[in-house]
Amino acid sequence: MISQIKPPRAESTLTRYTRREEQEADSHPLDLRLIGRLYEYTRPYASQRNWLIVLVILRSIQLPCLTWIIAAVIKGPVDRGDMHGVAWGVLGFLALALFTQGCLHFRQRLALELGESVVHDLRRDLFARLQRMPMSFFQRTKLGRIISRMTTDVEYVRMGVQEVLFVSLVQVGQMTVAAVFMLWYDPVLFLLVLALVPVLWLLNRHFNRQLSKAHRDVQESFSRVTATLAESVNGIRVTQAFVRQDANAGMFSQLINDHSDFNFGLTKIQGRFQGLLDLNNQLFISVLLILGGYQVLSGGGTQVGDLVGFFFMANLFFAPITTLGVQYNHALTAMAGAERVFRLLDNPLEQQDPPGAIELSRVAGRVEFRDVSFGYDPGRLVLHDLNFVAEPGQTIALVGHTGGGKTSILNLIASFYLPTRGELTIDGHDIRRVARVSLRRQIGLVLQQNFLFSGTVMDNIRVGRPEASDDEIYEAAHRLDCLDLLAELPDGLHTLVGERGGSLSLGQRQLVCFTRAMLADPPLLFLDEATSSVDTLTEARIQRALAELLKGRTSFVVAHRLSTIRHADQVLVLDHGRIVERGTHRQLLARGGEYAKLYRRFVPC
Amino acid sequence: MTEKSSAAKSSAATAATLGADREASNLVLVRRMLALAWCYGGSCAWVVVQQFFLVALNLSGLGLIGLGIDVIRHAVERDAAPARWPLGLSPPTDWPPLATIGAIAVGVFLLAIAQSSLRYWSAVSAGRLVQKIVVQLRCDVYDKLQRLSFRFFDANQSGSIINRVAGDVRAVSMFVDMVLIEMLGVLLSLALYLVYMLSINVPLTLACLATTPLMWLGAVIFSRWVKPAYRHNRELSDQMILTLSENVQGVQVVKGFGREPQEIGKFGVANGRVKDQKHLIFRLISVFQPGIGLLTQLNLAVLLLYGGYLVIDGQLLLGEGLFVFANLLQQFANQVTQITNITNSIQASLTGAQRVFEVLDAPLEITSPAAPARWTRPRGAVAFEGVDFSYRPGDRVLRDVSFAAEPGECIAIAGATGAGKSTLLSLIPRFYDPQAGAVLIDGIDIRRLALDDLRRAIGLVFQESFLFSNTVFANIAFGHPEATRQDVEQAARIAAAHDFIEALPQGYDTVIGEYGSNLSGGQRQRIAIARAILSRPSILVFDDATAAVDPETEHEILQAMENAMRGRTTFVVAHRLSTLRRADRVIVLEGGRVTQIGTHDELMRRGGTYHRAAHLQILDAESSQLLNAGKHVA
Ligand SMILES: Nc1ncnc2c1ncn2[C@@H]1O[C@H](COP(=O)(O)OP(=O)(O)OP(=O)(O)O)[C@@H](O)[C@H]1O
Ligand SMILES: Nc1ncnc2c1ncn2[C@@H]1O[C@H](COP(=O)(O)OP(=O)(O)OP(=O)(O)O)[C@@H](O)[C@H]1O
Ligand SMILES: [Mg+2]
Repeated sequence: MISQIKPPRAESTLTRYTRREEQEADSHPLDLRLIGRLYEYTRPYASQRNWLIVLVILRSIQLPCLTWIIAAVIKGPVDRGDMHGVAWGVLGFLALALFTQGCLHFRQRLALELGESVVHDLRRDLFARLQRMPMSFFQRTKLGRIISRMTTDVEYVRMGVQEVLFVSLVQVGQMTVAAVFMLWYDPVLFLLVLALVPVLWLLNRHFNRQLSKAHRDVQESFSRVTATLAESVNGIRVTQAFVRQDANAGMFSQLINDHSDFNFGLTKIQGRFQGLLDLNNQLFISVLLILGGYQVLSGGGTQVGDLVGFFFMANLFFAPITTLGVQYNHALTAMAGAERVFRLLDNPLEQQDPPGAIELSRVAGRVEFRDVSFGYDPGRLVLHDLNFVAEPGQTIALVGHTGGGKTSILNLIASFYLPTRGELTIDGHDIRRVARVSLRRQIGLVLQQNFLFSGTVMDNIRVGRPEASDDEIYEAAHRLDCLDLLAELPDGLHTLVGERGGSLSLGQRQLVCFTRAMLADPPLLFLDEATSSVDTLTEARIQRALAELLKGRTSFVVAHRLSTIRHADQVLVLDHGRIVERGTHRQLLARGGEYAKLYRRFVPC
Repeated sequence: MTEKSSAAKSSAATAATLGADREASNLVLVRRMLALAWCYGGSCAWVVVQQFFLVALNLSGLGLIGLGIDVIRHAVERDAAPARWPLGLSPPTDWPPLATIGAIAVGVFLLAIAQSSLRYWSAVSAGRLVQKIVVQLRCDVYDKLQRLSFRFFDANQSGSIINRVAGDVRAVSMFVDMVLIEMLGVLLSLALYLVYMLSINVPLTLACLATTPLMWLGAVIFSRWVKPAYRHNRELSDQMILTLSENVQGVQVVKGFGREPQEIGKFGVANGRVKDQKHLIFRLISVFQPGIGLLTQLNLAVLLLYGGYLVIDGQLLLGEGLFVFANLLQQFANQVTQITNITNSIQASLTGAQRVFEVLDAPLEITSPAAPARWTRPRGAVAFEGVDFSYRPGDRVLRDVSFAAEPGECIAIAGATGAGKSTLLSLIPRFYDPQAGAVLIDGIDIRRLALDDLRRAIGLVFQESFLFSNTVFANIAFGHPEATRQDVEQAARIAAAHDFIEALPQGYDTVIGEYGSNLSGGQRQRIAIARAILSRPSILVFDDATAAVDPETEHEILQAMENAMRGRTTFVVAHRLSTLRRADRVIVLEGGRVTQIGTHDELMRRGGTYHRAAHLQILDAESSQLLNAGKHVA
C-alpha cells in the first residue's frame, strides 16, 4: 500500500512514485472472479487439466493402498509364516509401486507444464495488450514495473496453478476419507470434530485480510525495487558522471529494506497463522483424548480398538489442515500476483478505431489542421487553434523556440494522440474516423529521440519494411547517400548496434533511423530533427539526396539548423503552441519578423 | 607507462561479458555459498537448533497420545500391558484413570503450545536470516553495479543485469532457507531413523539401504543434466525481458511503423523458447522424482521379503521388529523424497548464485589508484598526449591524439559523424582508459587522480540527455542533492530553462516521466545543461549539448554561460557555426585523428574540411539581401 511507505526526501531518491502509476488494489482476497479468470486460462489445456485431476485422485487412493499392502503382508503371510505368500505380496507391492510412480511422473509433468503454459499465455496476452496501450500509458508507467509484471508476478501465478489446486485436492480427499472412517468409528466424537469448522472460519476471517494485504505490500514494494533498478541501470552513465553512486546505493538499500520489512512482516503473519492452526489441531486432539477416554472408561460402548482407529484417522484428518494452510498462503500469493497481472491487462486500451473506420490505402498526403487545439493533460493546452494545409507533395518546415509544439504536431498527425478540439484531416478524412494502423503504415518517421533495437544495422533498417530484401536496404541507404558511412562501420551493415544503439555514434544512429524511414517508402514523411547530430557536410549530402527523395511525398521537417529548410514550400513558425508566422523561407526573411531573427542568430554575420 | 598501457589493452580485449567463462564448478560455488552462510553462522546455527527441538517436540506429542491410549487400554482391559511412563514421571497411583488422561491431555496441549510458539519463533528467525542475506546481497550487487565501468555496460544487456539483482539474488538466499536448513533438518532425522533401525537389526538395515548408492548416482546425474538447463533458462528469460524492454522503450517506433504484429511475433518466439526449455527441465524433474521414489519403494519390498524371511525364520519379532521397522522405513522414504526436492533447489540456486557472483566478481576496470596524487585546486589545464583508443581490439577510434587546453580556454571539437568526438570527450572523466598515451589534467595523469575527485571537477552534458523520473528540482540537483533552491534556479536560468520550468504545472516540483518523456527535446537538454553547471565545475564538457535547442535559445544559453562560467575550461562538440565561432580554438577530428587546430578565423583562412563545412552555414547572398531588406521593413 502506497501510503504505508514513507516517501523519503525527494532529493535523496532516484525516482518518484506517483499514485497515478498504479491504482491501489481493493481488498478482495481469493476473489472468485480472479479465480474464474485464471481458470479460463487453463481452458486451452483442458484435457491436460482433467487428466491431472484424475491422476491426483488416483494418487490419493494409491498411497493408502501401498500402506495397506505392507500392513496386510505383515499381518497375513508373515504372521502365518508363508514365505510364498510374502513373495506374492511383495510382487504385488512392486507392481503397485511402479504404477504409482508412473502416475507420479505424469502428475508432476502435467502440473508443471500446465503452470508454465498458463504463464506463457498470460505473458503473451500481456504483451499483445501492451501493443495496444495508448502512448500516455507508457509515459506514466515505468519500464521496471512492466518487467516485474512479466516476471515476478506471473511467477507467483505459476506456483498457484502448479500447486494449490492439486495439492489441496489430495489433502481434501485425505480428509474426507479420514472423516468417513471417524464417523464410522465414533459418530459422537466426530460431531465434536465438526466444531472445528467455525473455529477455522474465524481464524480464516481474521487472517485473510492481513495476509492478502501483506502479500500485496510485498509484491508492490518489489515492483518498486525493479522499477528503480531498471532506471538505475539505464541511467548508469549519468550516475557515474555525477558521482552519485553512494547516494544511489543508499536510496536503493532503503527500498530493499522496505521490501524486506514487508517480507518479514508477511513471514510473521504466516507464522502466527500456521502456529494457531497447529495449536487448534492439538487442542482438538487433547479434547478428543479426554472425551474418548471418558466414553471408553464409562463403558459407553466404545471399544479401545475403535478409539485407536479413531485417533489414527484423526491424525490423517488434522495433518492436511496444516498443509492446506500453507496452500492457502500460496493461493493468496498467486491471487495477489494475478490481481496485478490482470490489472495491467485491464488497463484501458488506446482508443479503439470507431466502427466502420476508414482503411486508408496509399494516401495522396493532404493534411489539414482546422482550429486544432491539443494538450497532453486536458487542463494544459500546448497547441492552440492551429490552421494550416499541407498539400500533397509539399514540404512543410516547422521551426520555432524549443517547447513550441513542433513535435506535438507530428504526434497528432501520426495519431499517437487525438486533438482535444478541432479537426485534423488526412486526404479529407477526419483522423478520428481513420483506422490507425492503416494511417501509420503510410508514415515514415524519424523521431527526435532516436531508438534502435539491439541487433544489426540491417535489422534496424528493416523495421521500416520487414519484407525488404538486403538489396533493397542497400539501395535505400544508397539513395539517401549514406551507404558509404554505414558501410564504414566495423562489420558494415552487419555491425551490431548494441542496446539502444549504444555502440554507434549518435549521428550514425540518426542515419540508420533516417534510412529506416526511407525504406518504408511512405507518402507521409516526418523528419523531427532527423540530422541534428549529424555533421554539416554529411547533412548537406543528405539534403541533396532528399531533394529527389521527397518528390511525391508530403513531408514535415522540424529543424533548428535552419540551413536545412531553405527549400521548404511552407515554413510555419511556432511559438508557445501558436503559429506566429508562415510563408516561404524568402518571404519570411523579407518580412523581418520572428523567423528572420532566428535566422540571424543561426548565421552570425 | 608502457606496462600500464599493455595492461589496459588486455583488459579491453576481455571486455567483461557476463557469463563468458561459463560454468563455475559446483564445488567452488557451494563453498562460496557456505562462506556466505557462515557470515551469519550464529543465526544459522540458531535456526537449526530450533528445527531440532521442533522435531523432538513433535515426537513427544505423538508419544503422549500413545501414552493416553495405553492408559485407557490398561484401565479397560486389565490384561493389557500398563502404560510405560517416560522419565519416571508416573502420576500418583491413586489417581483415577480419567484424571490421568486429563493430565495427559493437558500435557498434550501444553506441548502443543510450546511447539506452536517454537514454530513461530523459528519461522521468524529463519525469515529474519533470509531477509538479512537477501538485503545484503542485493545492496552489494547494486553497489557493485554502480561502480562497474562503461565497458561493462556496453558489453552486457540491461535486462540481464536487472534479472540478476531482482531474481537471481532470491535464488541465492534459497540456498540458505530451502537447501541448507532443510538439508540439515532432513539429515538429522535421517540419522535418527538410521540409528533406530540399526538398533533393531543390522543386516536388515543394510539390505534395505542397498539402493542408496543408486539414489546418489541418480542425484548426481540429475544435477549434471539440470544445471546447464537452469542456466540456459535464465539466459532465455533475459532474452525475453530484453525483447519486452526494448519494445516498451521503443514504443514510438513500434507504433509509428505499425510494427505491432512483428513485435508480437518476436516476443512470441522468445516467450515460446522459455516455455519449451522449461518443459525440458520439467521432464527431467518428473523422471527424477518418481525414479527416486521407486527406489525407496524397492527398499520397502526388500524389507518385506527379507524381513518376512527373518520373522518366519524366527530371527526377528513381528510387532516390535518388522512393524516398527516398516514404519521407520516409510518415514525414511519421506525424508528421501524431501532430498529430491532439495537436489532440485540446489541446482536452481547454484545457477542464480553463479549469475550473482559473476556481477560481484566482474573486474572494476576503472578504479582510483591506491595512493591518488594530491590535487587540491583544479585549474583546468587538460592535455592529451599521443592518445590511442579503441572500443574493440583492432578497430582504433582515436589515433595519436595530442593537444593541450589552457585553463579557462574554450575548445570546440568539430568533425564528421563517427569521427570520435564523443569518444574523445569520454576519456576526460575517465569513462574509458586509453590504450596508449595519457590524458593529463593540471599536468597529472588522470589515472593517478582519485576517480570521484576527477569526475566532480567535471561538468558533463551527454549527447543524449537522460533524465530520471523524479522532480525537475531533483534532476538538476542530481550531482549535489544538498543544493538549495536558489542554486538550482540559478543554474536553470543560465541554461535558459527557468521560464519553462516555472510554466510547468508544479514548477520545479513537477515530476518528469521516465527518460524525460513528458518534456520536449530542447527542454530535456536544457535541464541536462543546468544539471552540469550547477556545481560550477572547473572543466565543462558539452557533447552537442544544444543540438535540440533553437538558435535563439542557444544564443541565450551561451551568452549566460560566458558570463557565469568565465575561467572554466570548456569543451564543446558542435556542428553549428554559431557555436563553433565562439570557441577560442577549434580542433578538427577526422577518422580519429586531429587534422586541424586553430581559431575559427585561422581555420577558415586555411581551407579544408572545416572551411567547407562552415561554408554551408554561412549566409548566402540571396538570404543576406532579403534579411537586410527585412530589417528595413521591421
Ligand atoms: N508527453 C507529454 N506530456 C505532457 N507534456 C508534454 C509531453 N510532451 C511534450 N509536452 C509539453 O508540450 C510542449 C510542446 O512540446 P513539443 O515536444 O511539441 O515541443 P517542440 O516544439 O518539439 O520542442 P523541441 O524543439 O524542444 O523539440 C512542451 O511544453 C512540453 O513540455
Ligand atoms: N560503445 C561503443 N562501442 C563500440 N563502438 C563504439 C562505441 N561508441 C562509439 N563507437 C564507434 O566509435 C566511433 C566514434 O564514435 P563517437 O561517438 O566518438 O563519434 P562522434 O564523433 O561523437 O560522432 P557523432 O557526431 O555522430 O556523435 C564510431 O564509429 C562508433 O561507431
Ligand atoms: Mg557523438
